[in-house]
Amino acid sequence: MYDLLPYLTALPGLFIIVLGCLWLVGVNLPESALTRSTKLLYALLSLGFGWLMFEANSFEVDLGSWFEIGSYHYPITLVADKLSIPFAFMTVVLAGITGTFSQRYLHRDPGFFRFFLLLHVFAQGALIIFLAGSLDLLVAGWELVGISSVLLVGFFQYRRDPIRNALRVFATYRVADVNILMAILLLHCWYHTASWDDLVRGVWPNLSPAIQDSGITIISILLVLAASGKASQGPFGGWLARAMEGPTPSSAVFYGAISIHAGAYLLLRAAPLILSSTLAQAVLIFIGAGTAIVGTLVHRTCTDAKTSIAYAAQTQLGIIFVEIGLGWTTFAVWHIIGHALLRMMQFLRAPSLLHDHHKLHAAAGGHLASTGAHYERLLPPSIQLWLYRIALARGFYDAAIDRFIVAPIQAIGRVLAVSERTSK
Amino acid sequence: MSATTSNHLQHLLDHAAHYLPAQGPIGVFIHHNTLHAFQSKTFEEAVTEAASIYHTEPYMAEAAYQAELKADRILPDDIRVVVESEPNSSICKGLDRHRLRQVMLLPGVRSIDASTVAWHLEEGDWLTKFRSDVPSTGDDKPTTLWKAIESRLPQPSGSQSYKPARPADAVLSLNGELLDEIVNPALIRLAGAFLDQGVAYWPMPLRELGLYAASRKILSHKRAIFPAHLTGAFEVFLDQERRALSAEQALREQLSELGVSEDEWDGLITAELLGLPGWAGMIHKLENEPNLAPHETVPASLMDYMALRLTFTVIALRNMLGDTKSWRTTPLAKPSEDHRLITAQLFDAAQLAGLSSTRITSLTADEFRSFRDEVLGFDNIQRRRLLHLAYERRHERRILIPLQKHRVDPESAPASDQLAAQVIFCIDEREESIRRALEEVDPQIETHGAAGFFGCAMDYTGIDDAHGVSLCPVVVTPAHQVVEVPAPEHAEVHEKRQLLRRAWAKLAHWDHVSSRSLVRGWVTSTILGFFSAFPLIIRILRPLAWAKLHERLVKLMLPEPKTELSFLREDAEARNAEGTLLAGFSTTEKIDRVAAVLGTAGMLRGHARIVCVLGHGSTSWNNPHESAHDCGACGGRRGGPNARLFAAMANRPEVREGLKSRGIFIPEDTWFIGGYHDTCSDEVELSDLDLVPASHAGILERLRNSLDKARALSAHERARRFEMAASDIDPEEGLKHVQERAAHLAEPRPEYGHCTNAVCIVGRRKFTRGLFFDRRAFLVSYDPTVDPDDGALGRVLGAVIPVCGGISLEYYFSFVDNEGYGCGTKLPHNVTGLIGVMNGFQGDLRTGLPLQMVEIHEPVRILFVIETTPARLMKVIKANPELNEFVSNRWIRVSTMDPDDGHIEVYRDGIFERLEGDEEPLPTAPSSIQFYQGKMEHLPVARIIPSRAA
Repeated sequence: MYDLLPYLTALPGLFIIVLGCLWLVGVNLPESALTRSTKLLYALLSLGFGWLMFEANSFEVDLGSWFEIGSYHYPITLVADKLSIPFAFMTVVLAGITGTFSQRYLHRDPGFFRFFLLLHVFAQGALIIFLAGSLDLLVAGWELVGISSVLLVGFFQYRRDPIRNALRVFATYRVADVNILMAILLLHCWYHTASWDDLVRGVWPNLSPAIQDSGITIISILLVLAASGKASQGPFGGWLARAMEGPTPSSAVFYGAISIHAGAYLLLRAAPLILSSTLAQAVLIFIGAGTAIVGTLVHRTCTDAKTSIAYAAQTQLGIIFVEIGLGWTTFAVWHIIGHALLRMMQFLRAPSLLHDHHKLHAAAGGHLASTGAHYERLLPPSIQLWLYRIALARGFYDAAIDRFIVAPIQAIGRVLAVSERTSK
Repeated sequence: MSATTSNHLQHLLDHAAHYLPAQGPIGVFIHHNTLHAFQSKTFEEAVTEAASIYHTEPYMAEAAYQAELKADRILPDDIRVVVESEPNSSICKGLDRHRLRQVMLLPGVRSIDASTVAWHLEEGDWLTKFRSDVPSTGDDKPTTLWKAIESRLPQPSGSQSYKPARPADAVLSLNGELLDEIVNPALIRLAGAFLDQGVAYWPMPLRELGLYAASRKILSHKRAIFPAHLTGAFEVFLDQERRALSAEQALREQLSELGVSEDEWDGLITAELLGLPGWAGMIHKLENEPNLAPHETVPASLMDYMALRLTFTVIALRNMLGDTKSWRTTPLAKPSEDHRLITAQLFDAAQLAGLSSTRITSLTADEFRSFRDEVLGFDNIQRRRLLHLAYERRHERRILIPLQKHRVDPESAPASDQLAAQVIFCIDEREESIRRALEEVDPQIETHGAAGFFGCAMDYTGIDDAHGVSLCPVVVTPAHQVVEVPAPEHAEVHEKRQLLRRAWAKLAHWDHVSSRSLVRGWVTSTILGFFSAFPLIIRILRPLAWAKLHERLVKLMLPEPKTELSFLREDAEARNAEGTLLAGFSTTEKIDRVAAVLGTAGMLRGHARIVCVLGHGSTSWNNPHESAHDCGACGGRRGGPNARLFAAMANRPEVREGLKSRGIFIPEDTWFIGGYHDTCSDEVELSDLDLVPASHAGILERLRNSLDKARALSAHERARRFEMAASDIDPEEGLKHVQERAAHLAEPRPEYGHCTNAVCIVGRRKFTRGLFFDRRAFLVSYDPTVDPDDGALGRVLGAVIPVCGGISLEYYFSFVDNEGYGCGTKLPHNVTGLIGVMNGFQGDLRTGLPLQMVEIHEPVRILFVIETTPARLMKVIKANPELNEFVSNRWIRVSTMDPDDGHIEVYRDGIFERLEGDEEPLPTAPSSIQFYQGKMEHLPVARIIPSRAA
């Protein structure tokens, strides 16, 4: 089984290369061929990773190093343990479900091929994130997931809004990703390694930090910030609703199930490091708790199906962050799996909202229990209005970015443009 | 402020609102003419004017018509006839308008526009060789011809400028920024919260004050952050709040702030409303018809919306341009006319018309001017107009000629003493296939078509419904209430059922809310989240298995009581509790309703032993547009209860007795059965079978078997249109295929709906029986021989022309410009507020039909064939202004079929023209299946002759 892991991990990538080559030489693959091979691919992968789920021991596969300079080398290793395999298994099963769903959903769409290609890019990225034995490798998957996510938000490329929002998501990802790159850089500078193996000791879930050093605090905080970017938390907590521009199945698998939880996975891996630093722990808990509270407030005022689920997801992600911050890592894994499945299903049937609500309304005899009344009962009107104001503006997140980041940058840009013109 | 100006403002808003989409909350989808506001103009004028207002397409693209020419869907003869049907005018010797237009359509001009002209001239072959598809004109050279034309054209005038219609135009020109992207998101958030029907856990506070007042209170809170371009919004709203302005006052202030004088309000208000037409339209709709709101009535007002919109606009303008009035004087440059583009168009036309460079040079000034004007005047829109007319002409001839041929030698219908059963369907064109299949399966069955509410306009409350709903065309307000009640012996079962449903609702609602909240969400997602894996995997991999499992579970858990309809009214004035509706129908009212359907269809005597009446609807998943597939005659709802009620009425002895005085004699052993046909899953359910006399058991069994076979055949015929169904499946597999579509979460095309509608035939079934109409014809049973005063005709057309015309036109517009008139692809749609769909997380409400519903449509105006004489028809049409508008302004195409000899006359601009020619064949086939199997395209009318196959 050990030998099989690298092949399993690389299978979607291989598939992408084959598809890409076919595309390049101008082969117009019929929809059915594409979907059949997709289903076969994920069925195989599900079997493979399903088998590995029963593997009692954790193991590591060393694939050599990317490059070596003297004694310094970039190792490429895969790690299979009770943390990575369940995540990988869930990824391939849900990617397969998404492929099956999209076979019908995207039938006859001009972007059919593109969608499937991006789905495979995403699956490959996610598998790398979950199975990478080092942060060096993980970041490759991290970026694949990021870029496929952005391209799917902008899937309907002939309209303006998807592109604008994809750009916003992209910008957020870029800023957040600087943190993980910084973390890796510092790890290499200070400790000459970015392998999980060298950073943490023991077998999941009984891990302990392998390095005790004040530098770990900085690295942990950087990792927390990087994870926040993927999970739409804290300072990066405003993009999730914008990602709803893409087709429903990609919203489901990215923002309901896998991509949104990739940050939490990173934190779970790095948990021993984070937990060894009280400051990093505090930052993590603060980000999680803050996002959860704002998220639930915003969710309560959302009036459309997908945004409503997005903020509900963001809220639970906040709680998951808190759990990890408190060291409840096993519990967090359960929470992640349950949450991913739940949200995926909710996203996939989001267009049924009318149908469901109508049925519920009729079954309840025309009177659904009113919701949100306790705000009106418990709070004085001015605070009510203020909270509602915050929620309606989605926690002022977009406005603040626009006001304090985008507008000043644009202003500087204008000044520079003028000075450039006059200097000529 | 004087009362007159305030009325004036309201009046202006009402007037401008005509340009907004008229679609209500999407849960009840009513098909209507997308350009209803333009219906007082002729079709061609309206589409052109609307195209310039909405920046939409009036017809299909020219290339699409050219492709139809290549595919012989349009014939050269059609082009000739439509060109010659318009006035001619001489251009120069040997060339007149007709010939010029003829060649500009066929072989047709080459596509060129401002953005491609430079490329064609500099990189393409326009100037290196002549067109190869027209005969050459001697040893001319392209460059010589080009120069000859160019030298005769006047020098181009300088670029022109025009005034901006609204601030956004000026901002775009000055700053390159989109004002709408600042104003719209803020408005969408507020309007979405205001109109929400129950999605948000916390409904908008203070919304009973109206959109403007509530928003102002919420926005005038100090501790808040606005985007940079809305700096100062807080102060403005606070100021308005302190001065307690009404929406009207605020709107007037903003209008004067924008420097718009009163006589220009109209233009600005219209332009601003069209800046976010979907939301503005919904507010307008709910202002006029608050009861359309499915759950919560909200005090919607366009005045409120406009006050809010212009306040935001003024604030943004102040931030972006520094002041609020200068936008009016910003000149917007019109793209300068490219001299080369005009030359190129003349150059192409000269080649088509065979004008050489020497001819061009030798033309007199008048001749050249007239050539230029004719070419430039016959622009893209004019060319498409004629191509469209040609496209419709061929369609017309492909329907009418075979129909006339068939009329001469109709399929023999069973004599009344041989009838096994009669089945009355809705006129819906989707029922055409099952009707034909039923008659093919059992030749002793006869089918009829009547508008699917079967004359029973009612407010109906089903046993599981919380409230009554109108089951009748939208133009009718029901006056009668019908309630489904449990049979007395089943009262307990009913109670148990409702208790269980209440309990389920509580649980489901709790689950819905708790899975999304903070603390409860924590518990449920951790503990229960995992169980989502089962529905997730099974529903997507095996949708039919899940549907069956679900059905079985529901049957097991929820007892189903026997029910009956409470529709009898003994007391003349008995009303419902609120006193708004009459309880049920009195005997005379029942007789009226039964007579209206049977009399119109000519079913006066000799009824079969079983007469089955089938209403219809459609059930599908993940489909916000589900209601658009329901019965239009039932106001976008399901018509099963109407059919059941009709049957129950027709079975009453006192009704039958009364019908005799109306000339309708129903035999004593005739029994009526109501039922429901689901056009998505092709399920057929019959109701009240326990009441059917035992003597009818055999014949009922036969009918049910035939219906079962017919629905499988019909499903199979539907499946031929779906690419995902294999072409070699049998009827049972076809049925399974459509059932899977109905049950599948991922299916954006559960059915194709009215996608193929094109024709409506009003007349006796015996003249259409045995004809294959490819599910493209509404079939209305009407017998002109028993309608001496044309009263029935008036009633029938009064209902079917607006309904079928509305369907046809909605499909037309959503097809020719799916983004502009339709709602684009379904894939990114997001249900908002339970009232509509938008793209992404804060877009405009999308109205019209989605791409997936219209993709195989043929955009033709519906062709009516009415079995009557032109004189009788026009008497009826002229008597009804709405019908007159439809017909005179050519929103529908109309023809008559003579009741006596069957000759067809076609209405053209006020006169009827007899149909001549027989170039279109009437193919025959032994069965429908053998005619269509293996084909996916639209098929011509064919004659199905089972007997001659043997």
